[in-house]
Formats: sequence, structure tokens, C-alpha cells
Amino acid sequence: MNIELTAQQKALQLEVREYMKTVMTPELLEEIKIPEFKEGGGPEFRKQYARMGTDGWIGLSWSKELGGKELSHIEQYIFTDEVVRSGFAYPFLTTESTTPVIAANASAEVCEEVVGGVKQGKVVIAIGYSEPNAGTDLASLTTKAERDGDDWIINGQKMWTSLANFADYVWLAARTDPDATKKHKGLTMFLVPTNIEGFSLTPVNTLGVRTNATYYSDVRIPDKYRVGDVNAGWKLITGQLNIERLSLFTHGQVDSLYQGVCEWAAQTAAPKGGKLIEQPWVQHNLATVKSGLEVVKLICWKQVWTMDQGPLNMADASVAKVYSSEFFVELYRLLLEVMGQAGTIATNSPGAVLRGKIEFRWRVGAVLTFGGGANEVQRDIIAMAGLWMPRTR
Amino acid sequence: MNFTISEEQQSAQQLAQQILGDFTDVDKLKALEQRQESFDTGLWQALAKAGLLGLDIAEDQGGTGLGFYSLTTLCEEVGRTVAPVPVIPVLVSAAGTLRRFASDTQKDQWLPGIASGATLITAALEEYNNDDPTAPSCSAQKMEGGYSISGTKICVSQASSAARILLSAQTEEGIVVALVDPHASGVTLNAQIVTTGETRHELVMTKVQVPTQDIVAIGSEALAAMDWAHLATRTALAAMAVGLCDKMMRITGQYTSEREQFGRPIATFQAVSHRVADCYIDVECLRLVTQQAASLINESHPAKDAVHIAKIWCGNVTHRVSQASQHCHGGTGVDRDYPLFRYCQWARQIELTSGSSAQLTGELGQAICAEYLSKAG
Repeated sequence: MNIELTAQQKALQLEVREYMKTVMTPELLEEIKIPEFKEGGGPEFRKQYARMGTDGWIGLSWSKELGGKELSHIEQYIFTDEVVRSGFAYPFLTTESTTPVIAANASAEVCEEVVGGVKQGKVVIAIGYSEPNAGTDLASLTTKAERDGDDWIINGQKMWTSLANFADYVWLAARTDPDATKKHKGLTMFLVPTNIEGFSLTPVNTLGVRTNATYYSDVRIPDKYRVGDVNAGWKLITGQLNIERLSLFTHGQVDSLYQGVCEWAAQTAAPKGGKLIEQPWVQHNLATVKSGLEVVKLICWKQVWTMDQGPLNMADASVAKVYSSEFFVELYRLLLEVMGQAGTIATNSPGAVLRGKIEFRWRVGAVLTFGGGANEVQRDIIAMAGLWMPRTR
Repeated sequence: MNFTISEEQQSAQQLAQQILGDFTDVDKLKALEQRQESFDTGLWQALAKAGLLGLDIAEDQGGTGLGFYSLTTLCEEVGRTVAPVPVIPVLVSAAGTLRRFASDTQKDQWLPGIASGATLITAALEEYNNDDPTAPSCSAQKMEGGYSISGTKICVSQASSAARILLSAQTEEGIVVALVDPHASGVTLNAQIVTTGETRHELVMTKVQVPTQDIVAIGSEALAAMDWAHLATRTALAAMAVGLCDKMMRITGQYTSEREQFGRPIATFQAVSHRVADCYIDVECLRLVTQQAASLINESHPAKDAVHIAKIWCGNVTHRVSQASQHCHGGTGVDRDYPLFRYCQWARQIELTSGSSAQLTGELGQAICAEYLSKAG
């Protein structure tokens, strides 16, 4: 039992941290003030993403055949944690979640086009799973793909297709067998180029960021864009979810907010003298945040360490999702409370604390407890897989 | 980074599980309680025979030297079985401190006896409104051939049966750590019944003469010793809480899966199953922070923040899991014929021992304040 990073792992952490400082250029910091480019997609974002590709930072966890470095899950996590900490809108779902699945299942031609493009930092992929009537119950999706000669014709609508406004492809789940006895058995995965005829989108402005509704109206794509076997899409979807969560709830992104507020409170005068951080109630909030953050770190470490040993236990994966999502929301509140009224000042306004980052993270964080598998479903899983309790009705 | 324990440590933990399991069936616990005994000496001897009292005692002194981490896994198993044995005061607070800070002569004098089960050395770390043994209000005066100690310690486990009680007192030149003989002149022991039902003692000392040979450390060395004892004790309590809460939660999972109301097991109501799932999350969080604190102490790395955090979680989780378990059991949970009440009593005892969550959160906040004020210059 030794719950610390090795010297080598610490060196990697430092290397990534230093490198990411060069990625977060002054131009990029300006660019992400524009709401449209907050989650990436601007020209400076594109430039830095491509530079990360050139410098060999993309696909560290991929196999050597794909040009990756086969980093362990722990090392991959250290990379992810630092990238998220830096504030760069690195497209993890593209690089870590979808691309390895595409590489393992797509035709050679598409692999070269898509996987090669991702490796060079030129391709971003949006996820097209959810629909207006298929959220937590994803298998009930109705967007359909029909075979027509060598092509597929896709019709339907996807919801919450984040990044689709600048992504190059949508990783799309579509129904190919409407008569399947079990509804999750009739799904197939496709890559839909976003410049193709019949594809359109409308922005969906949320409490936090802009996302999209995407529409597929007689979209005709060649069969080479099908990934995996027909009607075998479900396992490609579910296989990614744990990896997706690993980049959602990292320690660095919230630890940096905590540190930022501590520094701010140590420099800010309290109304009746002394610094804000000397107030007992401020200390209480900061200590509560620190105690909770420690568990975020340990949960992440334990998960990636476990994944390096073998498969992740279902209950443990759900514990990580529920704890982290609920703690993130709590953390935003506790830190905003320290800032009080100043915490409400938005990013581009004068007087915004930490460039308004926490106010913004709170907005984005509203989706955490239901996104990536609603917490109620996760608690059902914990009761069943962790405690052998009977299925709830 | 490694989240597994060595094979040797694993087999020690399994052995502990087996022995503790054998000695703690409900009838045995009940019989002890009826005799108003809070220490199962037979179980203690069985643990001694299996080499489990010497996990954190060097081989030279009759232990196995597996280390502090291994000792915390024993504490976890004791919590899981609510076994009436004083593992924390004797093996962690007293023996662990002696191993690291006593003279060779003292180690040779006391540790082999602790490992073999022949001798009990306990510790008295707490005073009224003061759980910090590095800042005792008991006082000590240097005198010919030793120290004279006065003052009061509270809730001391095994005070009347121990050969010595390890404690600290304030002198004019810093603190002193001493082994006080409970039978020495000037010692008064007043029985105190605590939440677990156990009889502990208020230890009142009036000019108790402690000979030089029983002085463990003075000055900065004594401070280091009590600092270690404080951190180690809190961590061991958290480890005990891991076993305790894990078991409470499993009892509750099982009970709600079997108990039927409205024609179905109550566990099939999400309102019930989610409450137990929350306990599962809490226990996992507590386990992680405890493992971190224990492994840092085991490696002699700085552990102060990690221990603070572990004990904060310990207090919160013992409270929440205990209340949720009681609640989900309905009336069955409070019935003394059902095992749950013991766990709930222990939960409250552990929560309030060696610093509560509120207190430690306050202290952690002060530490954060000091850290960032010094950075801000």
C-alpha cells in the first residue's frame, strides 16, 4: 500500500503542466472569452490542438501500431488531469473515448482519415447518442439508418450534440433493426462527416455552454463510415463510458479552483480588518472543500490503478460518478460563498474573481449529476452490484 | 502507487478476521456484557498467540514488524466485529509510540510483554476539552530521580489493569512523556461509563512520582512522540470506523433485502436502496482517505493533513451510516437482541474520540489560512 505518485509519475505531471502553459497562449485566453469559443473551436484553439499533435501529445494511451505510446491508465490520467487543470478545451471524448474504438473497428481507409487526423490534432468528433426521447434510457433511440446499395441513408434528430458546431464528424448511434427483440440489439455506429448534405444543426443555449440539436435528413454516407458490425453498436457505446467519466471528474480542474480561491481570500481584505481567509466561516468552507477534494484525487487514482490491473468493478465506477458529480456541485457553491457577491460577476466584467471561472463552472456543472448516466441509475447499480440488494422497481 | 497490501499483511488480516469472527458471535458478546466486562481477555490471548498483537512491534521485541499499516487492518477487523479488545490504546497509542520513541531498555522491558499478551500498557491522551496530547494541561515537575505529575486524564481504557499508562504532561521546559503506574501513590481512578457501555476511568494524579526509568521522552522528542501518537490514534480510529461502517451497511443491505412490507422487500423501494447506496459511497470515501493516512504514516512521510481529513470523514461517515442503518431497520435496529446497537454505540464513541469533525474542520481551516497567508507574504 503506497498511495503516492512515483518520482517518474511526478516528473510526467510536471512536464505536462509546464507544456500546457505554452498551449494556453495569451491569444487563446482572449479567444475563450468569446462565448462561442469557450469550449474550443476557435482558430487559436485549432492552432494549439494541432501543435499538441505535432509535439506528440495526442493519443498517448493508444497502441504503438496507432502511433501511440501505450501509456498506462495512471500515466494517461496524469496527462488528462493536467490538461484539464490548464483550462485547455482538449477534446477528450475525441482522443480518448471514440478514436480508440474507431481504430479498433473501422475500415483502414476511415482509420487513416479519422484516426490519422486526430493524431495530428486536426479532427474533432462530436458524440451523437442522446435524442429528445432517449436520454438515460439510451437504447430507446429512434434515429434510423437504412441500407441503400453501398450507402446508408440516415434520418432523425440528436440532442445535446456538443461541439457539433465545429466538429468534423459526429459519432452517431442509429437504429438499423427496428424489429430487434431487445431494443439495444438493433443499433449500429456511424461516423457522419459534418460537411455532408442533409446534416444541419441549431444551437441549444444552456445554463452553461452552447450545445446543439443536430438533424439528419436523408443523409447519405458510404458504408465505409459504418464502424463495427451492423446491429453491434451497443457494446461500442457502453465500452466508452468509463473512459469518458475519467476525463469528466478529474482532480486538477477543481483543485485549481480551490487554490485560486484560497489565494484570493489570502489577499483580500475582510471588512473589519485582516484578510478574508482569517474569517472562521471562510476557513470552514475551504476546509470542507479540501476534505472532499482529497477523495476526488484518491478515487481517480484508485480507478486508474485498478484499470491497470484489470476491469473496473461496476459499483466502484458508479461510486466515482455519484460522489464526484455531487461533490463538484457542492464545491462550486462553497467556493462561491467565500466570494459572496463578487462570485456572481461574470467572466468579462470588471471585478470578476478568477476571471469568473467558478461562476461559469457552476453553470456547466448543472449537468454533471445526470449527464453520463443519471445518479439515480448509478445508485441502483451500487445497491445491486455492491450490496447484492434486489433490483428496485 | 499501489493499492494492495503484501501477501504477509493479507494473511495477517485474514487470520485476524477468522479469530475475531470466532470470538464475537452474539451470545459471547452478550455474556460478556451481562458480566459487565468490556475486555475479552480470552480473545486477547488468542490474538497474542497468533502473533497479531505484535504487528507493529519489532521482531527483536517479540513482534512480527509488519508495520503500522498492517496494524490498521487489525483495527479495521476489530471494528467490523465490534470485538471488545483495546487494540487502539494498547497497540497503537502506547506500543506504537514506545516502539518509535522509547529507549532500548524501555522497549525491551515492555514491548515483548505486549506482543505476548502478558502485559498491558495503555495510553491516556485526552483531558477534559483537550484531545491534543502535545498540549496537555497536566503538569510535571522535575525532581530528584524523575518527575512529579499532577492533573487529570479522561476516558482511559484499561486504566486499572494496565501495568503502565502512557501520557504527557507539561513541564517548564516543554512536555514530558511518561509511563505512569496506576497503582502508584497519588493516583485515583474513577470509573466512567461511556457510550459503548464500556467502563473507562478518569485518571486523577496528585503529585504522582514517576521514576526516571519510566520517562519516555522530554522536550522536542516528547513533542514528536505525542504528535505521532495523536496522528496514529486518529488514523487507527478511522480504520476501525471503516470496518465498523462497512459491516453496518452490509447488515442493513441484507436486512432491507429480506424485510417485506406492502408485499415486497423494502430494498426494492428506491428511497430505501439509495440510502444504503449512499452509505456504500461514504464507506468507500472513508476507506480511501484512511488508507492514504495509514500508508503515509507507515512510510514515515508527512501525514498531518491526510490524517485530519481522514478523521473528519471518520466522524461524518460514522454518524451518517449509523443513523441510516438505524433508520432503515425500523424498530428492529434499536432492539438490544439485534446486533446493530453495538455498532451505533461504537460509531458515536469513535466519532467523538480524539477530535470531532467540527473541531478538525476548524483546525484544517486554520492550517489552510496559515499556508496561504504565508504564500501571500
